[in-house]
Amino acid sequence: MSATILVVDDDLALAEMISIMLRGEGFVTHHAADGALALDQLESINPDLVLLDVMLPGMDGMDVCARIRDVSGVPIIMLTAKSDSTDVVKGLENGADDYVVKPFNPKELVARIRARLRPTTDAQASLICIADIEIDVPGHEVRRSGSRINLTPLEFQLLLTLALKPHQVFTREALLEQVWGYQYKADTRLVNVHVQRLRSKIEIDPDNPVIVETIRGVGYRSGKAVASAEGVTPAE
Amino acid sequence: MMWRWWREVKALLAAPRRVWRESLLTRTVVVTTVLSGMAVTVIGGYMSLTIQSSLFNSRLDQVISESVRTSTQIQALFDNSVTPAGTIDVETANSSAQTAIRTNQSVAGSGGFAILRTPGQITLQTMTSTSTSGLDLTVLSASLRQAVVQAPESLHHQSVGLPVDGEVVPAVVTASVIQVPTAGQYELYLIYDFSDVQATLTLVQQTLIAGSLLLVLTISLVTWLVVRLAIRPVKVAANTAERLAQGYLEERIEEGGDDVIAVLARSFNKMADSMQGQIVRLARLSKLQQRFVSDVSHELRTPLTTIRLAANVLSQKRDQLDAESARSLELLETQIERFEVMLTDLLEMSRYDAGAVEIDRDDVNVVELVQDCLDQLAPLAEQKGSPLLLEVLGGYGDVDADARRLRRIVLNFVGNAIDHGESKPIVAFVDSNEHCVAIAIRDWGVGMSEKEASRVFDRFWRADPSRQRTTGGTGLGLAIAQEDALVHGGKIDVWSDPGAGTCFRVTLPRTEGGSVDHSPLGLPPETDLVDATGVFVEPESPEVATT
Repeated sequence: MSATILVVDDDLALAEMISIMLRGEGFVTHHAADGALALDQLESINPDLVLLDVMLPGMDGMDVCARIRDVSGVPIIMLTAKSDSTDVVKGLENGADDYVVKPFNPKELVARIRARLRPTTDAQASLICIADIEIDVPGHEVRRSGSRINLTPLEFQLLLTLALKPHQVFTREALLEQVWGYQYKADTRLVNVHVQRLRSKIEIDPDNPVIVETIRGVGYRSGKAVASAEGVTPAE
Repeated sequence: MMWRWWREVKALLAAPRRVWRESLLTRTVVVTTVLSGMAVTVIGGYMSLTIQSSLFNSRLDQVISESVRTSTQIQALFDNSVTPAGTIDVETANSSAQTAIRTNQSVAGSGGFAILRTPGQITLQTMTSTSTSGLDLTVLSASLRQAVVQAPESLHHQSVGLPVDGEVVPAVVTASVIQVPTAGQYELYLIYDFSDVQATLTLVQQTLIAGSLLLVLTISLVTWLVVRLAIRPVKVAANTAERLAQGYLEERIEEGGDDVIAVLARSFNKMADSMQGQIVRLARLSKLQQRFVSDVSHELRTPLTTIRLAANVLSQKRDQLDAESARSLELLETQIERFEVMLTDLLEMSRYDAGAVEIDRDDVNVVELVQDCLDQLAPLAEQKGSPLLLEVLGGYGDVDADARRLRRIVLNFVGNAIDHGESKPIVAFVDSNEHCVAIAIRDWGVGMSEKEASRVFDRFWRADPSRQRTTGGTGLGLAIAQEDALVHGGKIDVWSDPGAGTCFRVTLPRTEGGSVDHSPLGLPPETDLVDATGVFVEPESPEVATT
């Protein structure tokens, strides 16, 4: 089954060109010219991924991004003309998974899309425990004392990657490669912003994180399992 | 020794000298005080002398006239003591003379008198020489006594110091001659105490000194006040100018009155107004221009993306195109690439111009970074026939820098070296010292004249427009590299010699906020890897890696 991609861009020529290119790669595409239409289509066609232009008439791309996140964890890749920090970081903070700067290499865009559509790595363990939360790998769920925590696929993937190797410190570059699928050096702000978003959802006190710990000057590491969780097999 | 002493004195004087140099107020007050002090001293001295002499003279006149009267009276007394028989009781006359003198000498002061016989006379009888009891006869100097004897007809006087109760007080001795009948010539000395004159003089002098000091002090104080009043507006103007220079363009001087100070304030404010207007206008223009460059670059990106995607789709159907169309497509793609690089550089430049650059510092291993850059450009260098060498002299430790920007600098240097290296070796040097780290890229290619080398950082400037380019530079590379170095607190230096090659050297501080004064690498650095003509010498050192 080919994946459905919703292209949200007010520039019709570019939207059409992207659609042509993506159809050539075997995707099914839909187009929305502004934010309101995009939100409508999100419900009707239920896309597997959203390509979202940051500059949109009416509702700003940032707002659209946040609105999509309110209702869905669908992967969002931003298209931006500005790689300046503020724009990108704002988009990522609003829930975008990744971003591509115009003018992008078509191959790169496809690679980014595929990375986001790729099914999460299948881990041997079915239930992983870090700190006071448990990760149900087959069920794609994260729970704290029985109650479910909503994570986007990317956040889940990020947490799982860290949790699968509990004692290993991951550099930002390594996470970019394993979670985002970047083969070369990319923007490490992606990692920083998403770790912050992840922490805000799973940590009890995001300022003093215990689940995703920062190792200064190196990267991140998952916290230690709390023994009290019963019937749980620690990873590895 | 002498020098040391001089140095110490100089050091001691340093602070006052600085105050002297820096404070107009101090200078004015000091000069006024010194000058008025000098004037007052001269005037006071003159006044004191005049008063002294007039006091003395008037008293002297009084003393002389009194002495003359006394002398005449005594002479008469003696003359009248002669009996009609021609005899005289000299001793009786003497005592009455003494009484008369005492009566006459009623003028204030201890005074005294002496009636002494002129020595060397042979007379019928002698009269006893008398003097006031306690009078030290040494005050009657020999010269005075002699003068009296030599010119007995006139009155003589002399200033002396009279010992009274262990102190010496000023006094005047008058001397005259009395002819005592039958007893011969006697000298009459009258001593007048001048200590009251001295006391008056001392009082006058003290008053003068006190008055002078007070006057000088008043003058200094007035000067201080006046100068303060006069320089206050100047100071205000100076402070305001300083604030303006710091960028507080709203700063103005308070205006008031119609005097010259008010004119200064008004002119100053007018100047500040016009300056502010100009600056604001220029700033707005410059901002507009930056915004324009930035907006254009951004706006161009969307259509460029579309073009690129279209070219890519076409490119996938290359097999179906005829030769000319395929070549056209190829040209289209390379030019899109170039367009893109140019846009990126333009944007980066506009970001620097807008001062909107944030650097992302991290620990960077410079040697690894340079090696990486060389690896990246190795295929291109090979194509041009230039071996890339790395000579590491130091700099193994990490530095605090933005790796992306540092990489961009090095890639730019190496790219330029490959372009202009004429297939001769290119050596990258890395070295560091306590404070900074330096990277230099040296080629043995065409080189540039001094004039050309001074312009390499200019935007869109090309040494030789006809020269072939392979790395597809945008003309902004070195300008951006320089900004990249500056934003780190570092600098880029260039050395070039036509025919001998070029060397670009970047020096960065090891840590944020550090400064660069002395680069660890020479310009150009010396090397054994390549001889002067640009011929590669086989490396022997294990540190050297060929890429």
